[in-house]
Amino acid sequence: MMWDSVSYFILVPMVYMAFAALIIGLIYKLLLVYFSPGMKGITPVFPQKGPKLLGIITDAFFLPTTFKKQKIFWLMILIFHIAFVLLFVGHLELIAEFKWIQVVPHQVFLGAGAIGIVLMITTLYFLFRRFGHPYRRISVPEDYIVLLVLFFCIMFGSILHLADRYSDYGSVLHVGVQSYRSYLWGLFTFQPDLSYLISETSHFTILVLHVLFANIFLIMFPFTKMVHSVFTFLAHNRKRM
Amino acid sequence: MEKEKVRELKDSFNKKLNKPLRYYLDLCTRCGLCYDTCHAYQGVPKEIYTPVGRAEVVRKVFKKYFKPTGFFLPYWGDATELDDHVMDDVYEAAFSCTGCRRCMVYCPFGIDMGMLMTIAKQLLLTNETAPEELVMLADGAVEKGRSIEDFKEGFRSVIEDLQVEVKDRLGASSAEGLIPMDKENANILFAGLSGAHSIVHPAVIFNAAKEDWTLSFFEAVNFGYFAGDSEKADFIAKRIINEAIRLNVKEVVIVECGTAFRIPKFLMGDLPFKVSSIVEVIHRYIKEGRIKIKEKAVQDVVTWHDPCQLGRNGGVFEEPREIVSMLAGDFREMSPTREFNWCCGGGGGLVALDNEEFRIKSGKPKKEQIDATGAKMVITACENCVLQLNTIKSGYNMDIKVESLTELVSQNLVL
Repeated sequence: MMWDSVSYFILVPMVYMAFAALIIGLIYKLLLVYFSPGMKGITPVFPQKGPKLLGIITDAFFLPTTFKKQKIFWLMILIFHIAFVLLFVGHLELIAEFKWIQVVPHQVFLGAGAIGIVLMITTLYFLFRRFGHPYRRISVPEDYIVLLVLFFCIMFGSILHLADRYSDYGSVLHVGVQSYRSYLWGLFTFQPDLSYLISETSHFTILVLHVLFANIFLIMFPFTKMVHSVFTFLAHNRKRM
Repeated sequence: MEKEKVRELKDSFNKKLNKPLRYYLDLCTRCGLCYDTCHAYQGVPKEIYTPVGRAEVVRKVFKKYFKPTGFFLPYWGDATELDDHVMDDVYEAAFSCTGCRRCMVYCPFGIDMGMLMTIAKQLLLTNETAPEELVMLADGAVEKGRSIEDFKEGFRSVIEDLQVEVKDRLGASSAEGLIPMDKENANILFAGLSGAHSIVHPAVIFNAAKEDWTLSFFEAVNFGYFAGDSEKADFIAKRIINEAIRLNVKEVVIVECGTAFRIPKFLMGDLPFKVSSIVEVIHRYIKEGRIKIKEKAVQDVVTWHDPCQLGRNGGVFEEPREIVSMLAGDFREMSPTREFNWCCGGGGGLVALDNEEFRIKSGKPKKEQIDATGAKMVITACENCVLQLNTIKSGYNMDIKVESLTELVSQNLVL
């Protein structure tokens, strides 16, 4: 009974709380920037090559100086972020069917489990990189916690997906996608219904853990270094003319 | 530290939080890509001399007082309370940084370390532990701006002596009007430094080019900026800006001083005149055929040191290279070069401080760069760089000459 209440809290109210924290937190952060005093003048770094927008996109997405300095780290960053975007797109398909995602027909979810594995590997790389010199000396607890939360979230998500897709149990029932759509669409339309999820999903406990870590990740997002995903564009804009 | 002092420091921190600083303080992931990009760390491998180490000193204070996590979960991000020990770190962080922004080139987010250090410098001013030398020099410049009329006559008599020197260099018949002052509607208002050489050599070049120019009563260097006092920095910069507006000049030309160039060029907003470095103007005169220089006049192996505020932060990369290539028979680039060039370690007002031993050590990457070229002459275009390169030269017993580009051009004019 107690577990039912806890799992219900994690799967429904906490999800709403997490998204509220994410959205309100990000808006709060952006408003803080917006209402802070401006600065006269500009602070470019030279040379300035090509149009400003192209420069910002190149710097933010392709990290040319990171490539110049640490090629393996650069590769890991790129793989991680591409996989993260694909993961997000994959989750959209767990809310409803999107024809534009099914341009290349595939079984939900995208990547057949590889994306989660790639993300786990890259997250572990970022984590273990912090144990070495000089990164250990400059790391603060937040740096480890964020990566651990992300790792557990991806790990439980991957277990769900891999088991559903490749285990005998999952392959016989094939209930994963419909169960998740019923759950997530219910959340999306503010009519949460867990009955189908609880009765049909093969790995309910793992699902609860996956959602728990996803919730924590979303709550942390605006209040940690994860805001680099938004602020990087403002910073690169500042160094371009 | 007393509560009242902590409150004052918090208030002064808060006043510095402009738009870019808000996101610069928040978005560092401590990826460590900047770790070894600072010349100071290369010379003295202490963590506080790494860009991320410096930034964290400020960022941890920010977390403590301006972020909810710093209040509720201080261990989360190592949030730090202000105390005397932290203020010592703030000093070490701020006045080991030259504001060269080399780390910014390597930062995947482009975090501006120079700007972050303005917070550290403001905290030191509030704490009354900012370097006295810089504060006094800034005060002197402000005082000169307030009572310029009292300075004018003395300055005019000095300039009269310098005119004779310019006359001799040019072989002119009269010294009269060779260094014009207070001249309205001139093409150029030139801002020099306090040293005679910073006026004589540009004056020779302007006269050789038959330029319609006038000399500013104010020195271009901005000690308010070096001290981190934004109000004084603004006042000091506006002395020349207001003079240029009053005289209705078309262009303000700044002497060989990187920061003095960058401030009016980029940091003062839109101005009703063009701002150029003396290096750009010399290049323009050569291209337009208004002056001629003795080609390949320098037989030594020569290298060029990009002053950070002129190159990486000012965009003047090509002009000095073209001039040096004309002057020198054997010009060799340093490696790394241009935006990746190592700072010499003299910027940010550091050459004005009693820190020679530190500057010799932090000049190690520059020394190694120069050695690698095999150059016997290092040419640059920034007074701070010239002073620091000479400190490196004597500190490491280097067999090199350090030359100012303007001086070299002036000495090798075909008249």
